[in-house]
Amino acid sequence: MHEFGVTKSLVDLCNQEAKKNRIEKVHKIHLRVGRFTGFSPDSIQFYFEHLKVNTRCSAAYIVFEEVPIKILCNDCQKISEIEEPVLLCPNCGSDEIDLISGREFSVTSIEGE
Amino acid sequence: MKKIKVLKPVLVSNQQRAKENRSMFDRMNSLVINIIASPGAGKTSFIKNLITGLKGSHKILVIEGDIKGQIDSESISRLGVDVIQINTATECHLDAFMTAQVLPKIKKNYDLILVENIGNLVCPAEFDIGEDFKLAILSTPEGDDKPLKYPLLFHLARVTVINKCDLLPYVDFRPDIARKNIKRENPRAVIFEVSSKTEQGFEEVFRFVSKEINARQKKDKH
Repeated sequence: MHEFGVTKSLVDLCNQEAKKNRIEKVHKIHLRVGRFTGFSPDSIQFYFEHLKVNTRCSAAYIVFEEVPIKILCNDCQKISEIEEPVLLCPNCGSDEIDLISGREFSVTSIEGE
Repeated sequence: MKKIKVLKPVLVSNQQRAKENRSMFDRMNSLVINIIASPGAGKTSFIKNLITGLKGSHKILVIEGDIKGQIDSESISRLGVDVIQINTATECHLDAFMTAQVLPKIKKNYDLILVENIGNLVCPAEFDIGEDFKLAILSTPEGDDKPLKYPLLFHLARVTVINKCDLLPYVDFRPDIARKNIKRENPRAVIFEVSSKTEQGFEEVFRFVSKEINARQKKDKH
């Protein structure tokens, strides 16, 4: 349900950037979504179809780039990609972990004319 | 066809607003705790216990978030502290803008501002409102596996309170497993076990929050 609000922010951000760069019609939006966010690409897509109407994004589609969860172990210094957000080092079992990716939710670029 | 680099977080406007809220809270010298839990986990009773324990020594404000109504605000204001209500109507969380809207209503300086978020383990975790830290409440009837099912909240919450510990003899909740699961999401989490009903475990919470308030006020003096 909370994807409605964030998709509204997405459309607003893309419209602002399009206006600033004199793009009348946005064709593609490149969106990075980390696996450690609560945002589902399917729901974003669903709301986007409604929210883009009558904006510079009305003909646009979203290209999703999913970002894996990566952690850095401060004990063995190994960087690991993990499937589930369980913050234990798969190499040495340490919990001295820093999250280095997976929380992204950003527009990397837009394409249009 | 043009391709423009944007490289901006979608929630950039929320983040900016949260930053502004945070500097406003800094100027007010208030410790702000964003309290997040599922509906019925005991957010309001936890807040009421905190108020009872701390109102003698600290000035407290509660910002009460609900989709509808003001049942909680009314019961909290009966304890003699100030309450500001936010009704979100359709939104399932508080964000920095909703919080910013009520800031002009804060007329005094408070040592502690407790924000009761909407009952939900998913959405409130995503939105920074300008708080000092998030506090999650996990009640024993919900099960000890919840930190693994809702990892983001338990990852971000600096403090997790296990509530309704008086029900432990009646529910299949293993506190040691719950602690382990919370630590798997946030190895540095501070964990308390309490019962808002019997008040067990609250002395430790009072000490922790008082220490945080004092640390905050010392920080502001420098």
